[in-house]
Amino acid sequence: MTQFRPGRQVMVAGVGLHPFGRFPEKDMATLAVEAVVPALSDAGVQWQDIQVAYFGRVYYNGMSMGETVLGRLGLTGIPIINVENACSSGSTAFWQAYWGITTGMFDIALAFGAEKVPRGPVTVTAEDSPERLIGADHMMAGYALRSRRYMSETGAPETALAQVVVKARQNASLNPYSHRKETITIEDVLQSRLISDPLTLFQCCPTSEGAAAAVLVAGDALSKYGIDQNRAIRIAAAVLTSGGYNGKGSDHSAFSPYRTEPAALEAYKVSGLKPEDIDLVQVHDAATIGELQQLEALHLVPFGEAWKATEEGRTSLTGDIPTNTDGGLLAMGHPFGATGIRMIHETVLQLRHEAGPRQVKDARVGLAECSGAGDVTTVHILVK
Amino acid sequence: MPESVDPRRLKLTNDAGTEGVLLGFHCLECDTVIFGPGTFCQRCTSIKLEPMELSRAGILYSYTVVRIPPAGWPGPVPYILGQVELPDGPQVLAEVVDCPEEDLEIDMPVELALRLVEGQEPGAAKVVYKWRPVDSHQATAEVHP
Repeated sequence: MTQFRPGRQVMVAGVGLHPFGRFPEKDMATLAVEAVVPALSDAGVQWQDIQVAYFGRVYYNGMSMGETVLGRLGLTGIPIINVENACSSGSTAFWQAYWGITTGMFDIALAFGAEKVPRGPVTVTAEDSPERLIGADHMMAGYALRSRRYMSETGAPETALAQVVVKARQNASLNPYSHRKETITIEDVLQSRLISDPLTLFQCCPTSEGAAAAVLVAGDALSKYGIDQNRAIRIAAAVLTSGGYNGKGSDHSAFSPYRTEPAALEAYKVSGLKPEDIDLVQVHDAATIGELQQLEALHLVPFGEAWKATEEGRTSLTGDIPTNTDGGLLAMGHPFGATGIRMIHETVLQLRHEAGPRQVKDARVGLAECSGAGDVTTVHILVK
Repeated sequence: MPESVDPRRLKLTNDAGTEGVLLGFHCLECDTVIFGPGTFCQRCTSIKLEPMELSRAGILYSYTVVRIPPAGWPGPVPYILGQVELPDGPQVLAEVVDCPEEDLEIDMPVELALRLVEGQEPGAAKVVYKWRPVDSHQATAEVHP
């Protein structure tokens, strides 16, 4: 695997978010602008200060969407790069912004993402792919296959999987930006309609619209831009991987539930931190099983035991592994291009102790993990 | 004559398209078996791959009953999607047919079954690989050669 060698220290100086949900009255560029402007304002910088921008999105029929969005703020002529990396598009844009700064090319960068995900089951392949006749390309069916095997191997009951989304909804109910704000019970989860058994509707993340943005600055350039050091959050690790050989001869998501592990181990090595140092975590819970297996792959709990940790309340806001503190994909929603940066947004708020009613006590170190088709994984560790 | 849904993955062995075999590659350097097309070995990147025919039977590693199908799915709903592990190594996802939902069991033996599937366009029917249960007596010989 690639060895990552960071250079200059990089900080997140500002974050912005457009609420997640459905916004038929707004086009994607409007959603994006309404996340970018608050991020610039949060950092206390001007659009003209930004030297490079990376834009994550998946669903868009045209070209150069990033340029279209940022043109509304003024044509400054900076390099703008459009990033498509499936559900990790936003976190990949953030990763690129980090590496643009740590290697010395730029002092200040914008990473942002936006999406209007179509309704219905999500597929990875093109419409003329043979997969469509085979019936195997169905994101939630892939998670369902993982769920059943996990339950068989670990003895996890379906109520434990349901508890993941009960917890997610509790956190989201404290978050005015979330797509699903109603709290629900385990019975509600299990009685919602089956999508691909054992996964019911509430165990699958909603397809959403929304946008998120972050301003990244070199640690040695904070004063040049007049940025408040006390609100800047240090990026201690930024790791991106694609799928390695998984022993099963395919990259379908069903085959590699623990693909996050190599990226996590690299992030711990680069940062000098250990799993026990992590105060809160955002993981890719596109379905309930995703959260369980990501927590295990991140070595935050032993393999096969995340369901017990969930039942014991360890992943709740007051537990020892607060997970998806803003509601995660399951309740916050999942506009693909925005999701990875939404995780950064929540982590930054928590580490600044600005998360209001969902604040994790004494939070100092946060981890954000985002996965995408193609076995893409990003792991970012942020430190106050 | 009916055509395979993907000739790189499924080779038909009779004119009627009722018999066939899944195709893959065996890496002569690291002994890995890959389902479907390959130029380089996924594991060791060697180009010393030899084409091979994969086992006709395996075990049902996991399964799900898909009630909301993806766009383009031409079959009835719900349908059973199986994740089948072959003794050669690879796992292959496909529909499980000829099996009532209540008979599904993790690790049950299954075998290859071919079905003619009508596509979205008229005249675009293809032969698609699927899995079906085998009785345990027959499976013992095929799954554990």
